[in-house]
Amino acid sequence: MSLSVQHLSFSYGPRRILEDVTFEVAPGAFCALLGPNGSGKSTLVKAIAGVHRAKSGTVTVEGRETSSLGRRELATVVGYVPQAGDAPFDLTVREAVMLGRTPHFGIAPRAEDRAKVEDAIARMGLGDIAERSMSELSGGQAQRALIARALAQDTRVLLLDEPTSALDLRYQIETLQLVRQITREEGISALIAIHDLNHAARYCDQIVVLHGGRLVADGSPAEALRAPVLRSVYEVDVEVDAREDAVEVRPRVDAAGFTRTGARLAELDEHGGIRADAVAAVPR
Amino acid sequence: MTTTLQRPAPTPDAASGTTGEETSRRRELRKLVVLAVGVVVSLAALVVSVTIGTADVGIGDVLRSVQVSILGGTISADFASSYAVITQLRLPRVLLAFAAGAALSVSGVLMQGVLRNPLVSPFTLGVSPAAAFGAALVITLAGTNQLPAWATIAGAMVMALAVSALVLGIATARRMAVATLLLLGIAMTQIFEALASALQFTANENTLQAIIRWTFGSVNDATWNDVLIVGIVTLVAIPVTLLFSKDLNAIAFAGDDAARSFGVNVGPVRIGLIALSVALAAVVVSFCGIIGFVGLVGPHIARLAIGADHRHLLPFAALSGGLLLLVADAVGRTVIAPAVVPVGIVVAFIGGPVFIYLILTRRNTLK
Repeated sequence: MSLSVQHLSFSYGPRRILEDVTFEVAPGAFCALLGPNGSGKSTLVKAIAGVHRAKSGTVTVEGRETSSLGRRELATVVGYVPQAGDAPFDLTVREAVMLGRTPHFGIAPRAEDRAKVEDAIARMGLGDIAERSMSELSGGQAQRALIARALAQDTRVLLLDEPTSALDLRYQIETLQLVRQITREEGISALIAIHDLNHAARYCDQIVVLHGGRLVADGSPAEALRAPVLRSVYEVDVEVDAREDAVEVRPRVDAAGFTRTGARLAELDEHGGIRADAVAAVPR
Repeated sequence: MTTTLQRPAPTPDAASGTTGEETSRRRELRKLVVLAVGVVVSLAALVVSVTIGTADVGIGDVLRSVQVSILGGTISADFASSYAVITQLRLPRVLLAFAAGAALSVSGVLMQGVLRNPLVSPFTLGVSPAAAFGAALVITLAGTNQLPAWATIAGAMVMALAVSALVLGIATARRMAVATLLLLGIAMTQIFEALASALQFTANENTLQAIIRWTFGSVNDATWNDVLIVGIVTLVAIPVTLLFSKDLNAIAFAGDDAARSFGVNVGPVRIGLIALSVALAAVVVSFCGIIGFVGLVGPHIARLAIGADHRHLLPFAALSGGLLLLVADAVGRTVIAPAVVPVGIVVAFIGGPVFIYLILTRRNTLK
């Protein structure tokens, strides 16, 4: 297994954020990390990236435990793509991508570092705007530059923390396809924290679902996305349309166009049907 | 979509006929040239600024004096007074001005980068009011006694370093959040300005004058001793900062989390570089008094000239800050000659408008 997370727990002060999380991502696989806000997605990504040090449990990359690696050595095996944020100072796309080579060179970048940067720029289709400054880029371009930065870092595991949340539909899909392409070509494992269930189902090979810091589903999109699990995790009444080639998750609406959320989920029985007493009890 | 997914061999760019790697190398080379030009201009400016002043001294005299004092030799009687003016008055003052400007500017680059904020300066953590209070305290305690110069210097430096250590200590206990540091700096500035004002309020006429005089940053009484200390501290600090320029890049441009994912030990690097920054500022303030604006404007001028990459920015900021203070001092010596306007006042007059210009035209350096 390229990326293996075993019994990982993390607390922030007295607050438990992650509780005994265990899963694996195969080489060349693209895994989606789903879960509502506050479920611990970001923390899990950062714990694997070494931004946070986990309290207990192990993370293993290609057989090497990351806790035994120094910070810089870890940075050569695990790459991390944050959400595109504001930088206080401006620099060109090429300089920004070069930041990914930080763990690889001493004081000044060498020819090899430059070659990797150019390769990453070319693969992300940033060649024409490589000398443009980052502040002039559109959201999608800036996110591509950040992925290029992680590519230049040349790691075996790629972690992405909600890279698509601020992008429009086209850039969301392009970003997901780029990452999928990279994982397949390079045989690296990618883990992406993402909100859109259907994008995850469509473009990822594997889905893990986090709820209150615990893993509640792990498997192929068809295995992991099941209506009862999603209803309890997201507290939204959904139906899952699982066909052979595609899985689709939709909110279920009643005749008046309403979807049950939160406390009103209690009106459903264990099979997702509406309880007879609920229909009478709720006035509208 | 598919076009961006294929991995094209680095094809020559139609317009310039160069590959990305060549562009990248050429940029690096251009920056080294800019840096070299900066060094040459600085040396020339140093020599020229020695000639400025009431006693008439030519560039030839300056070069001959430097040659004589380094290589030895005899000087004729008619050259003796020029030689004395150059080596005892002018050279120490221009070198001190340049070194102080360089130190403050490098200090500013470090502070702005590490705190990820283009509007902070070396004095943000309260170094300058603390130093002013330290100096004022020594002056007040001495009363009518004649003070040796080192006493006020020591008072200022001890107080500045103590306050910086206090701020860093509290911030470390509080996980070094940038906002905590900035707020602590504001609090320290208020406290020490109040303390200094209290001393001034209770001081008698002569003491008051001495205190106020100290706070005007100047290089008027520069000695070779001052030059040596400020110069050596600056010359030692710059290579040290270059060792950390890569880490500084990661923190300043990518943020704490991403910098950690690049293998940078963000906490210790931040503390270390802030400590270096305040130490540089404390040394300059102790020897020269409060010289504002250089630490804020010097870095921005350098960013305009050479870009934001700290590997080039740090050495170039030393030059831009040094030149700024050198020019300010030359102006201060000439505007109402033979009287000399303290460089701290002149540089605020020059630096203020320059900074306003930068704010209004900020597009690439500040965002």
